[in-house]
Amino acid sequence: MDSASSRSKRLESAISIFLLAILFLIGFAVFIKQFDFDMGRFGMNTAAPLLSLQGSDTGIGAKLSFDSLVPSGFKKLSEAEIYVPETLYEKIDGKATLYIESGFVKLFTQRFVNQNDDTLWFEVFLFDMALARNAFSVYSVQKRADAETYPAMQFAYRTGNALYFVRDRFYVELVGSAESADLLKAVGDVANRLTGPPFLLSQESRGGKVTEIPELALFPQENIVAGSAKLYLSDVFGFDGFRDTFVCQYKAGEEFVTAFLSKRPNSQEARNIADSYYKFLIENGGKAKPTSDERLAAVEGKVLDFYGVTEIIFAIGPYIAGVHEAKNQQSAEKLAAQLIGKLSDPAPTTKND
Amino acid sequence: MTDRNDKKIERRQFLSRAAKAGISIAAAGVISAGLYDSRGPKAAVDAGTPVTLPNFSMPPKDGQTICIVRGSERKASVAKAIELLGGMERFVKKGDIVAIKPNVAFASSSLLGATTHPELVAEVVRLAYKAGAKQVIVTDNPINDPASCFTLTGIGKAAGDAGAKVILPRPDLFRQTTLSGGMLIVNWPIFYGPFAKADKLIGIAPIKHHHRSGASMTMKNWYGLLGGRRNVFHQDINTIIAELAIMVKPTLVILDGTVVMVTNGPTGGSVSDLKRADTLIASTDCIAADSFGCTLLGLKPSDLPYLAKAQNAGAGTADYQSLKPIFAAAG
Repeated sequence: MDSASSRSKRLESAISIFLLAILFLIGFAVFIKQFDFDMGRFGMNTAAPLLSLQGSDTGIGAKLSFDSLVPSGFKKLSEAEIYVPETLYEKIDGKATLYIESGFVKLFTQRFVNQNDDTLWFEVFLFDMALARNAFSVYSVQKRADAETYPAMQFAYRTGNALYFVRDRFYVELVGSAESADLLKAVGDVANRLTGPPFLLSQESRGGKVTEIPELALFPQENIVAGSAKLYLSDVFGFDGFRDTFVCQYKAGEEFVTAFLSKRPNSQEARNIADSYYKFLIENGGKAKPTSDERLAAVEGKVLDFYGVTEIIFAIGPYIAGVHEAKNQQSAEKLAAQLIGKLSDPAPTTKND
Repeated sequence: MTDRNDKKIERRQFLSRAAKAGISIAAAGVISAGLYDSRGPKAAVDAGTPVTLPNFSMPPKDGQTICIVRGSERKASVAKAIELLGGMERFVKKGDIVAIKPNVAFASSSLLGATTHPELVAEVVRLAYKAGAKQVIVTDNPINDPASCFTLTGIGKAAGDAGAKVILPRPDLFRQTTLSGGMLIVNWPIFYGPFAKADKLIGIAPIKHHHRSGASMTMKNWYGLLGGRRNVFHQDINTIIAELAIMVKPTLVILDGTVVMVTNGPTGGSVSDLKRADTLIASTDCIAADSFGCTLLGLKPSDLPYLAKAQNAGAGTADYQSLKPIFAAAG
């Protein structure tokens, strides 16, 4: 009996091992085969079916109806469209990666056309970027150099044919087909309606809160170039280690100087990244320079000459900060000292654009 | 389990259990056979027999490969450039069917420079007919609602008014192709139908900054020929642009730098993204045209890896100076 039981156990074990081996081989075959996936056999439709705006699962659909946005003298030119990360390229092609890498969730679009002149039309692009800082990032890195500030809103600007703004987690573009006063007025009307009650983008619907980007308040305000703040989410200054980095421009005489800062989870990580960035610059041709600035020396800040421009890097608490590509070391050190002052004693500021 | 194994079972029980197990296995087999699709996932359209795009190129003429014309009026610039390359009669023979591939990628206004200017398309259509073309086709494969793209860019109307036949993409116009030696264009659907019976192919593209590839010009314009989920190629954008330049052998390309999109490409969206460069390039060599074109964006040919890749594959030359370019003013 014992012998029979023992044989039975061995047989069971052998069968189990055999079955597991087969499962492993199947899994391995699937793993190998996936690298030979024939994309050409899929997705030959030239356009994905449009989703219903009202059927949106972001929560915005119920509160946002483009029908009620139609400005006076205009009508809807086409049906509203919605794009998700998998289909965004169908709308904006090569720029899709910029949004997707910045946390993109959904894009709502709608075109409106002038009732008397069909050459005057504009399109609303409403990007849901999940977080206000993501929305601010795509807004800021695309900001047009000759943009005119749009004072009615916090983070907003307009150009000859378009209006761009951030409201909470949404980045909004209203792009006109022509440089026309009528068109810009209609665009402004839609922007006002989008940001007014009862829409989700309205301040009231968000408990009266404004879009908050706390890091912007940490930049010195003296000589800052208004509206120059940008947020780069990755690969800043060509250095892989930098992410979530804010930059602002400052006027120093006839020149511009760039300050930057990035908040890390803790001071040790901030220090490590500052050291890594310093090494990165040295390895790529940077040369250490002495500094006589006491505030910079107190935080063990590093000053480098990098092919004729000055770079300054330091870490204070969880922040990595510094000055980038300054033509004049004195201006760079002065700005760095101001930044050190703000980071050492950050006072809340609401004016941050 | 051991306890159960230690028990003796009746012959009847054994047969019963064996029969149940057999039925279960057979049922699973039948269900699996019913669900099994021996042909695998179907493409959305019948891709048909694999095809190769015809070679539309013309024999080179020394000193008449690339022409760069300065001027603010597109019609005058393109007419001058083609004239200096030997005239449209060099490229289009009497009775030819001419396919024109503008960039109609987006449903945006021509003001924004994201697409080929309709005025330029219309003028090339007119010149082709004047040279004796039997039919001129204007076509592109924008993914996002082709009808809207052709309408809102103004290209559909401009081409139609000039007498061209505008062809929008339809599933039956796509065929599978494989580029010999290609890494990415392998059993991939391309927009083939409009080009199958064409005798000549003319590409017309604007000069644009491109977030992914650095610049979008005549070589990137062939991206519109790709079907399927072509966004997968954005992960290796330089290779796909180079492969497209190898795959497509046009008769002539026209690169419009009258107004160039210097930032926020390829969509742009604002007039602030644009800069006047008042330059138009016509060439039988895409790589040469783009190598000069990128300088209008403040780039060097070495900044765009796809130029070297395509050149190394023998698709043309990035050293446009070696082609003795003709420089002229539109007058």
